[in-house]
Amino acid sequence: MQERLSIAMISDFFYPNVGGVENHIYMLSVNLMRKGHKVIVITHSHGDRVGIRWLLPGLKVYYLPFVPIASSATLPNFFTSLPYLRTILLREHIHLIHAHASLSSIGHEGILHAHLMGIRTVFTDHSLFGFEDAASILTNKLLVGTLKNVDAVICVSHTGRENTVLRGQLFERDEITLTLTVRKNVYVIPNALIAEQFKPCPPPPSKTITIVVISRLAYRKGIDLLIATAPRICAAFPNVNFVVGGDGPKLIELLQMREKHRLQDRIELLGPVRHEDVSSVLSRGSIFMNTSLTESFGIAILEAACAGLYVVSTRVGGVPEVLPDDMISFANPDADDIFRAISEAVQIVSLGQHDPFHAHERVKTFYNWTQVATRTEVVYETVITSRQIDLWERMQRTMELGPFAGPIYTIILIVDCMFFLFLEWWMPREDLDYVTHEWHHDKFKQHMEDVKAGAPTTIQEAVDHSTLVTIPELLKQVNTYNSETSFNW
Amino acid sequence: MEKVLWKSQQPFPDNFVPADFLSLLKKNPNFRPYTYSSLVLLSTPITQHLASIFIFLSVFVHLKEQSLDPRTLIWLSVACFILGYLLWSFLNQTHDTPHAAINDYLKAFKSSILIFLALMSLSPVLRTLTASTSSDTIWALAAILFILNAILADYSAPSEKELSHGRLIPVLSMNAAVSASVVLASRLATDIAVFGLMLFSIQSFALFPLLRHRLQTSPVAVQASLTACLVMSATWLTLTLSQRLAYMYALVFTSVTFCAPGLLIWAQKYKNELRGPWDVAVPRVN
Repeated sequence: MQERLSIAMISDFFYPNVGGVENHIYMLSVNLMRKGHKVIVITHSHGDRVGIRWLLPGLKVYYLPFVPIASSATLPNFFTSLPYLRTILLREHIHLIHAHASLSSIGHEGILHAHLMGIRTVFTDHSLFGFEDAASILTNKLLVGTLKNVDAVICVSHTGRENTVLRGQLFERDEITLTLTVRKNVYVIPNALIAEQFKPCPPPPSKTITIVVISRLAYRKGIDLLIATAPRICAAFPNVNFVVGGDGPKLIELLQMREKHRLQDRIELLGPVRHEDVSSVLSRGSIFMNTSLTESFGIAILEAACAGLYVVSTRVGGVPEVLPDDMISFANPDADDIFRAISEAVQIVSLGQHDPFHAHERVKTFYNWTQVATRTEVVYETVITSRQIDLWERMQRTMELGPFAGPIYTIILIVDCMFFLFLEWWMPREDLDYVTHEWHHDKFKQHMEDVKAGAPTTIQEAVDHSTLVTIPELLKQVNTYNSETSFNW
Repeated sequence: MEKVLWKSQQPFPDNFVPADFLSLLKKNPNFRPYTYSSLVLLSTPITQHLASIFIFLSVFVHLKEQSLDPRTLIWLSVACFILGYLLWSFLNQTHDTPHAAINDYLKAFKSSILIFLALMSLSPVLRTLTASTSSDTIWALAAILFILNAILADYSAPSEKELSHGRLIPVLSMNAAVSASVVLASRLATDIAVFGLMLFSIQSFALFPLLRHRLQTSPVAVQASLTACLVMSATWLTLTLSQRLAYMYALVFTSVTFCAPGLLIWAQKYKNELRGPWDVAVPRVN
């Protein structure tokens, strides 16, 4: 029996935003809680959503009052989050922080500050980056600085790990042979899905084959390839129709293509699809088409395969690792090759060689969140029992960053320490409002029933004293739980 | 060990690093080493552009010191224009009939007369336009505008499409240079000097870059001699004003033409381009 840990997930990307990272953090937290750990989430505020909120089943979320600059990421400034994080991490008795996503500056800051309180750090990278453009160069530099002193790194695919190891320079120099080896603390733990949410339904009796595309309509998702191949597929197979879900800058080009080739009755454009509707959209088709130009994991492919669709995808990033070869056809990012792959897929599906129910049962055995949580637990265990890097070694490692970045990061590190000492004097630990009560789900359930029945009750017994949640808000959260906690990508 | 995620019960821990780790990493896949001579040739447009800026500046100083008669400058400009135009039309022989060619010449003649007259009538205005501004401001402003002109100028060789369809002038660059000439013109004493300077400025910053751009496809000897010509005239014109400045110019020219390409070749050994399966694929759509 391993000891019970208190874990803080830190990321700029969390509910009420929707996406792959957001969903990952939520699902991982919930499954870790089921295993008996205590989990809180720390993110930045969204509009008037500031302070502490609870998500079912009892996940405590701190919304810090920072304003995001672009795409829901906050400006990296290293220090402003320290007063907030120190108070939260201390009062919640956190043992370990788990930061997510390399564009989340609050996550980086969490890793920078954690050692001051003796807290261990884990970082999960969710995306792939190149090495060429200015944005990548800057973020990679920031990432190297952060990952020098992190205790463990988790990547969502093998390709993602290769990318992160290069970007974050996660190498160790062997003192004797002077060769570079990959650090031992870089793990691969994939995403997962709730298979029950994506159940296949029996195919319609008609001869029509529907190809489903659900994707953000952006350049990176390869919508140009879709625009180039869809008219050819429609011309070659009179019994094939398209259903396209999603919104984005490429929607206009898609509409123009449809109009130009007079395919209004063959290609249906659904516009933005909410995550809870994805399953019903998927159930309309028998082939799922993904034309992404880069993809770290490709959860959409997995969801489609789980819903019993045959998948055709471009061979990019981590996609080839996700499914066994007999459930997916690959194509190069080339219009001709995608046409070939789709033709093969149409053949397979029309001959009935792909059994949706069998595919669903198989995917069920491949991925589940409990298993992801167990594998993550192993990482936590290793981190907690490993030796903590002391400040001097931390500074030495930071100086290895280079002749310019090294001193800058070291100064940041030292200033951070002094800022922390100042805070220790200014807001002494004894004066902090420590969390003593925790969420009791059964009590909460009882109280909710009482509230619904109209009985006057004090919710104070059920929830932590420090929370700022009112009863109507809780009711709202309970009622909207199903729609709010499921996510889009 | 297979590189797959769907096999949930692999006999390896999650931090196991397989032997083929980073086997798909490619370093410098598109690496093409430069050759010194080609880089020197490619750097000549920059030298030419800098030389024409320096020539313009020394002409301005000569005009200001009244060691150059504005009338001589005007006649020289007109002669240069005619020579350049003949060369230009010789390089762009697109007309089949002599009639169309004559029509073209007449059009060009008409617009040049128009510009000539417009400049002449505007020169009193241009002379007094920034007269109330102090000279220090003018020098600083002109320097900034010329730097902008040099940075934004187009030093590339003309593509096939440009050769057949003509090209767009880098507008911002040209405007910066002409604005610089306008502010400098206000330091001159007479209207005719202002007119001469503006005419010369339009020649060197609007028309001459077009011709130079077109000449970049010509044989190496032509480009080399043009560059040498410009560099020598810039140095010679400056030599009568200040020896130190002329040496500085010579230094700039040698470093741009001969040292900078060497530096680039030396820096190429630090090139470290990383490519792998994580890169954004380039879609091929026909």
